Amino acid sequence: MSTLLTADMIRKWAPVLVLIGLVLLFTTINPHFFSLRNFARITISSTPALMVAVGVTFVILMGSIDLSMEGTIAVCAVLFALILNIFGGSISGIGWLAIPGALLAGAFLGAVNGIVHVQLKIPSFMASLSLGFIGIGLSLLITGGNRILIDDPVFRSLLTFRIMGFPLMVYAALLCLMVAWFIQDDTVIGRNFYAVGGGEDLARASGLNVGRLRIIGFTLAGIFYALGAIFAVARLGIAETETGRNFMFTSITSVVVGGTALRGGSGGVWSTLVGVLIVNVIGNGMVVTGLPDYFQDGVLGILVIFAVYLSTDRRSLSFIK
Amino acid sequence: MSFIKNYLERQICERRQFLLLSAYGLGGMAVSSALKTKTARAAVQNPKIAWSYRDRTNPYWNSIVAGGDAFVRSLGRPSDSLINLINEGSSEKSLADIKSLLSRYGSQVALAADPNDMPNCRPVVEAVCSAGAYISTIWNKTDDLHPWDFGDNYVSHMTWSDVGPSEQTARVLFDAMGGKGGVVHLGGIASNNPAIERLQGLKNALKSYPNIELLAVQAADWDTQKANQVMSGFLTRYGDAVKGVHCASDTMAYGVIEALRAEAIEGMPIVSYDGNPQAVGLVAQGKLLATVFTNPYWGGGITAALAYYAATGVFKPSSEPKEHREFYGPATLVTTKDASEFKSKYIDSNPEYDWKSLWSFTSGPIKYKS
Repeated sequence: MSTLLTADMIRKWAPVLVLIGLVLLFTTINPHFFSLRNFARITISSTPALMVAVGVTFVILMGSIDLSMEGTIAVCAVLFALILNIFGGSISGIGWLAIPGALLAGAFLGAVNGIVHVQLKIPSFMASLSLGFIGIGLSLLITGGNRILIDDPVFRSLLTFRIMGFPLMVYAALLCLMVAWFIQDDTVIGRNFYAVGGGEDLARASGLNVGRLRIIGFTLAGIFYALGAIFAVARLGIAETETGRNFMFTSITSVVVGGTALRGGSGGVWSTLVGVLIVNVIGNGMVVTGLPDYFQDGVLGILVIFAVYLSTDRRSLSFIK
Repeated sequence: MSFIKNYLERQICERRQFLLLSAYGLGGMAVSSALKTKTARAAVQNPKIAWSYRDRTNPYWNSIVAGGDAFVRSLGRPSDSLINLINEGSSEKSLADIKSLLSRYGSQVALAADPNDMPNCRPVVEAVCSAGAYISTIWNKTDDLHPWDFGDNYVSHMTWSDVGPSEQTARVLFDAMGGKGGVVHLGGIASNNPAIERLQGLKNALKSYPNIELLAVQAADWDTQKANQVMSGFLTRYGDAVKGVHCASDTMAYGVIEALRAEAIEGMPIVSYDGNPQAVGLVAQGKLLATVFTNPYWGGGITAALAYYAATGVFKPSSEPKEHREFYGPATLVTTKDASEFKSKYIDSNPEYDWKSLWSFTSGPIKYKS
């Protein structure tokens, strides 16, 4: 019994161990890796990805999947920049309306995603993938393929203003993570996500309106994608259709590497934080250690398999699909 | 949002019309091939003008299409009479769309195209030539394929050699660094020809600057966000040893500038490539030292013009010298000295080009590596 407990403990903490192992590995190869300035760089690139990954965590906890993030981010980023520029171009004036504007757009797109999935009974995989394409098309239509620049120094202080070596956006993202944690652990909705993911039949039988819960889950995810879009714009000062690029792969990878099971019901936002850090430490570490380009994608793939292998209890799975 | 509604309505109508006409054309082809009447073909009076290209999500292709529109308008036609065939990076879609167009309009087509990848150029050209239509291509073509092997129908091919201009940007960069110190290169997708050539240009310039050290070369895949991350990694790895940055494209330079801004590093010499409007603006402000303008607007217009004027018989391609059939497009170095003037001339408004002056901005015949 005690060995089982130990094995379970190791499995639970495996992602954290992987993260520590990676940090030690990269530090051994290049001691510059282990510095406050470099950690700040890693957290800057992690911030937008964390918001997106937290959003999709809620959906994955329910046992569904959401692949619409790239389209949603593109639309939210472009709308955010448009609204900001229309209202004077500064977040210190009435331009702040761009923030609720982008969040509303994210919530709307998420809700549409959920409604299409639940009401039309289309698998979440297909529904969300299609809506992602629609989002990309919509943002292209709005911008005509052009980039929108954001040069508001107040808004860009999210990147440029630092407290204890870390930029403001890192603290803002941590605050959002706390809110996500609260939703997950201390609200009925959060607990119901686990109930549906753990066993939908049981949840239905005990009177839970699963369809409504799913729509709420997708809406919540959309809001977090919008937050990711705002941080992505803060990081680069550019809003365009390409803003959402690559977020699908990195966010889903981060969630899985962090230890949240794709079948639903286990994991959570803190696991996602660890997963996002692992993926970004690998990205940064490979450049810092000077690994050749052609190795990097392959090494990322191997590390992902390794991390997922360590964090899942295969004995509890009757079949793998 | 009425512009969105109008745009959607127009696109839906165009697509519907296109599908119907394609079906009609296919039927017509079947009938005509069954009857098999061979007639001598005269110059086309009023060909349809089409542009086949990758997508509209980046400024480069936007400028290409804007040039195509400008040419169509110069003929007194409405701008939306230019048929857009968007291949979304798929060679199969590129060929299928072009074949649909040909089955509808037959020889009544003047087509400008980037065939998406090199092997796709031959089937595209063969399809156009066997329909008796006219095509001019840009960028992607294999070395063994030549317009003069197809009589008049394969009008021309234009590409850009990036080695020389990239070497020029590297020299501007090294001079700004005082001829010494470490430099890093952010490249495009490693297998892309422009990425290979732009790195080669940097390496050529390095030969004349013995005190410049190339610290690292890293692909950032033409992507702003990835370039941002790669530059952060370089700062950790080399710290203050990085004295200059050579970027293979403007889009990556934006990511580099923001990575430096996050660290409050000011005045780092950076050069880039492509001459996008935003980059030319940054050169004018001194945040970039140089970029290379390849004039996609002119390229988009002139490629369509070449196909159109060959189709209408204004000139006979097979009577032209080889350097009028295969040639390099323009590449202009934009530096901090001339950026403001350049911006007002080429970026803020597009100059009125004479679309009948077909080879005015070309830069010589294509040289192949033997």
